[in-house]
Amino acid sequence: MKALLPYFKRERWNITWAIVSVLVVAFATLWQPHLLQQVLEAIIKKDNDTVFNNGIILIVLAVIGIVAGIINTVYSAKIALNVATDMREDLYKKIQTFSYGNVEQFSASNLVVRMTNDINQVQQIVMALFQQLTRIPILFIGAFALAIMTLPNLWWIIIVMMLLIVGVSAFSFTRMGKYFGSMQGMVERVNTLARENLMGIRVVKSFVQEQNQIKTFSESSDEMRDLTIKIGNLFSILMPAFFLFANLAMALTIYMVGGMITEHPTYLAAVTSFISYLMQILFSIIIGGFMMTFASRAVVSLGRIKEVFDTKPMLSFPDVPEEHLAGSVGFDHVTFTYPGDEQPTLKDISFEVAPGEMIGIVGATGSGKSTLAQLIPRLFDPDSGEVTVGGKDVRDVNEQSLRHAVSFVLQRATIFSGTIAQNLRQGKPNATLEEMNWAANVAQSAEFINRLDKKFDAPVEERSANFSGGQKQRLAITRGVIGKPDILIMDDSTSALDARSEKLVQQALNKELNGTTTFIIAEKISSIIKADRILVLDDGQLIGQGSHAELVKTNPTYQEIYQTQKALEEV
Amino acid sequence: MKDLKNAGKFYWHYLKRYWLTFLTVFVLLGFATYFSVKAPTYMGKAIQQLAEYLGKWMNPMTRKAASFDAFNHTMVIFVLLYLGNAATMLISSLLLSQVSGKSTGTMRIGLFRKMQRMQVSYFDQHSDGDILARYTSDLDNIFNAMNQALFEIIMSIAQFIGIVIMMFNQNVELAWVTMASTPVALILSAIVIQQAGRSVDRQQDDIGALNGYINEQITGQKIIITNGLQADSIKGFEGYNQRVRQSALRGQIWSGILNPLLQGLSLLNTAIVIFFGSWLVLHGSLSQAAGLGLVVVFVQYAQQYYQPITSLTSLYNMIQLAITGARRINEVREQPDEVDPADGKTLDGLKSKILLDDVHFSYLPGKEILHGVNIEVDKGEMVALVGPTGSGKTTVMNLLNRFYDVDSGAITFDGTDVREFKLDELRRHVGIVLQDPQLFSGTIADNIKFGKPDATDDEMIDAAKQANIHDFIMSLEEGYQTPISDENSIFSAGQKQLMSIARTIITNPNLLILDEATSNVDTVTEAKIQKAMDNVIQGRTSFVIAHRLKTILNADKIVVLKDGDIIEQGTHQQLLAEDGFYAELYHNQMVFD
Repeated sequence: MKALLPYFKRERWNITWAIVSVLVVAFATLWQPHLLQQVLEAIIKKDNDTVFNNGIILIVLAVIGIVAGIINTVYSAKIALNVATDMREDLYKKIQTFSYGNVEQFSASNLVVRMTNDINQVQQIVMALFQQLTRIPILFIGAFALAIMTLPNLWWIIIVMMLLIVGVSAFSFTRMGKYFGSMQGMVERVNTLARENLMGIRVVKSFVQEQNQIKTFSESSDEMRDLTIKIGNLFSILMPAFFLFANLAMALTIYMVGGMITEHPTYLAAVTSFISYLMQILFSIIIGGFMMTFASRAVVSLGRIKEVFDTKPMLSFPDVPEEHLAGSVGFDHVTFTYPGDEQPTLKDISFEVAPGEMIGIVGATGSGKSTLAQLIPRLFDPDSGEVTVGGKDVRDVNEQSLRHAVSFVLQRATIFSGTIAQNLRQGKPNATLEEMNWAANVAQSAEFINRLDKKFDAPVEERSANFSGGQKQRLAITRGVIGKPDILIMDDSTSALDARSEKLVQQALNKELNGTTTFIIAEKISSIIKADRILVLDDGQLIGQGSHAELVKTNPTYQEIYQTQKALEEV
Repeated sequence: MKDLKNAGKFYWHYLKRYWLTFLTVFVLLGFATYFSVKAPTYMGKAIQQLAEYLGKWMNPMTRKAASFDAFNHTMVIFVLLYLGNAATMLISSLLLSQVSGKSTGTMRIGLFRKMQRMQVSYFDQHSDGDILARYTSDLDNIFNAMNQALFEIIMSIAQFIGIVIMMFNQNVELAWVTMASTPVALILSAIVIQQAGRSVDRQQDDIGALNGYINEQITGQKIIITNGLQADSIKGFEGYNQRVRQSALRGQIWSGILNPLLQGLSLLNTAIVIFFGSWLVLHGSLSQAAGLGLVVVFVQYAQQYYQPITSLTSLYNMIQLAITGARRINEVREQPDEVDPADGKTLDGLKSKILLDDVHFSYLPGKEILHGVNIEVDKGEMVALVGPTGSGKTTVMNLLNRFYDVDSGAITFDGTDVREFKLDELRRHVGIVLQDPQLFSGTIADNIKFGKPDATDDEMIDAAKQANIHDFIMSLEEGYQTPISDENSIFSAGQKQLMSIARTIITNPNLLILDEATSNVDTVTEAKIQKAMDNVIQGRTSFVIAHRLKTILNADKIVVLKDGDIIEQGTHQQLLAEDGFYAELYHNQMVFD
């Protein structure tokens, strides 16, 4: 809850208005029974004037109550929206300072949930806070105090009623608490079964297991149903019990007043207002209970948001002037472990690459190829050893210098919604049409872009659904080369291209970007066969480097990979 | 309106078997309402009797006649009425909790049953998340509405009617006064609900756009970081965020205002009733004591009068969600089932050949995928399907065990059209290894025995050995009893594939369809999987859908598909000699120059 304070400070005037108006509402609600009591007394005394005056006051008070209620809603909504919007913006800015390790640690989808659902929870609770949470304690305390003032002798009836309510609630909620624990597990089990059957529907059908699956699912579903009913039964007790206690308290009050009526004749008029206060106490307790469960959810959300705010970026860039970095890359005894892993993913890797070289990287899945590539643009820092670009440790250069020097094209091509040109300009702001054409020709994307009505201004839909996998990869390559980077890293980024297009891309890269140092990570030997040098990785270690001709003779791991891919017979 | 009708049908279907329970609940709640609206009159009566008692007691002449008997009698009835009210409420609430629990349970199982009967095309056309949401949020919404709203709706309506009747019973003039503001309240509520609906729609549009932006940007955060686009990304975000601030404010105000408004109106109404009631007492023909009692009773009614309207409006959202939920589940219920011939033939193993005879097929009308495909496979042969993405090779697999049916032409087993067999019968003889092998929660043993739950452990171990996964399983602490699930798998992508091969081997199918894995598996692992596949193929008729040519060089027949047509057919050697499409594909993929 502390995390909200700075935001509340900014809203202090809105908050003042919201609280003042809610106080007016509470006052109007609480004062009505008191005025009623005076009217009743006046009726007994046949005092026409008092009845008339109090009647007018009653109506004016109610109208003020309505207006105050509306004002309160407007200001509560303002506060809730301002807090949520500002917090969302701060959260987004915070995430933008994250290094890639942070994003992976939270996972992108998890961060999205915090930005959307959790912020929404906070908005709801802030709104409720100023509409209800402040009103409930005021109403409760006010009604309690006024009730005692009205019939001082009967204060104990209120206490007994409250004790009974608390007792019943405690009884059912402790019971329910136990059930809720097992409920969570059952919900997960049922959802898992549904999801597995959904994704594996072809498996279930082809193995003719529909009936068995239905049986398994029904058993879990029935278990969940039985528990749901148990919880429902406990809930069923609450409301009738609460109202019974309140009504019995009411009856007891009237009965007690009957006994005292000759000593305190004025109590006759006071009974009704006392009962009204009793009911207000009851409603405050019920609404307060609901609010508590509501608030506990919001506290969880706030905790999750705070976790993001409290996260420090895993790495930061030094504040040094921007400089041009040459295309050389060096790894000097680099060891790297992912946060949370026990085993290092890269072990003592050393190699040097001269500007303009084309380097292939091969190895089995999980051998550390992508990890190695990610250290060059400094998405992560090594545990030990040093990564250099242009002869300088990447930890000593300015972020922009590194971004200008290194371009990274990923296997999973992310193209943002908007236009093609907007995406390409992410690689080079202010890129001209000429430059876009050049890059599209290199990446072999010109062929399909030119077929689009609006060419580079053609729209990209959400999730780039209007482009095929191969087209997306080619667009990503176009974005990667448009800035003519000194270093280009292609992480399996031609996997969805057919063999012919892939060859054309490589030829164009050789011709148009021959000053660029290129790293190509690939599953297929054919993608890197022409590289100046190939690095072979196995289980995080660099176990060989050389040209294809050399490795195929000397390196057993490389030979094994090659064997699985080469033709049966030489043609 | 159509939604409402559909929802009505849906709930009728699931709730009609509980008619007796509902009838009981209605009767009980009728009593509950009677008790709760009758009680205030006894309270009024008690006050009146006290006033009369006081009047007599104050007058020394009549003090002796003053008696509590009538008052005590009223109090007893008063308490009994509330006890009756609590008991009837409790019982009906318990009954409804049974109904909502049981009926959502039935809906959930019904949905699952339906899913198992439905055509595969539905799953191909809808995202998993969308279908799964029907199990989670839609059923939750329905349950919440039944559990809370149902009770409150019945109760509110009953209470409203009860209060109105009682008021007219007590005093017609005051009854009219209490009800006078109703049209105002209803009109105001309608306006607010309508405005709220409109502004919340706009708010949801803007929030949707904002969430879409957030989702896309953060999912693509790697690109943002490597291209240094953080500042641009924040700028884009601010635009969306400010728009939400504007539209959500309107939405929140309109949707938040109804409750305080109705509470305020209730306050005002009570004030008017007090005012007018006391005027009536002072200027009317009522005795003072009776008038006092009447005002007390009507204050109670005035305070309760708006309660039903307030709770109905606050349930509006919940009901809306339950109607949407019903529509979405109904949508699934109305999907066509798989076509299983009524007196389908049994299949007793493949005797001579499988024939694809001039097969035409389209997923969407007008967009034909296969244009007259002919393939003949003799028993025991291995046929490989080769071709670029979108050529239709996976489609052929979909047709063989009738995930889809041909538009025209036919697929026959020993001369019998596959559509004439019993569906289960056909699928028992066709084994499939899929590209993305789904495993199920349970033990490893459960998963291998998936297609043949009564298999012996020896059969299971034999299958695992043939699939080259036995040694790995034995290296696990709990061996075959190790619990697994698809999400939390101890298997690598390659081992998962081997598991799915073992699962297929144990069912000993006549015809095998193998769809090769393309992703997440490097070529060395792929070679290991290949060995296991060779074990299964041995001695069986098989279709292999090949993505990498290396695996199918020994096929008896290679069928090359392009854009839905067979363009080449023959053995590897024959096709190389033809020097056509296959030969080029082969050179590009396999020959390093």
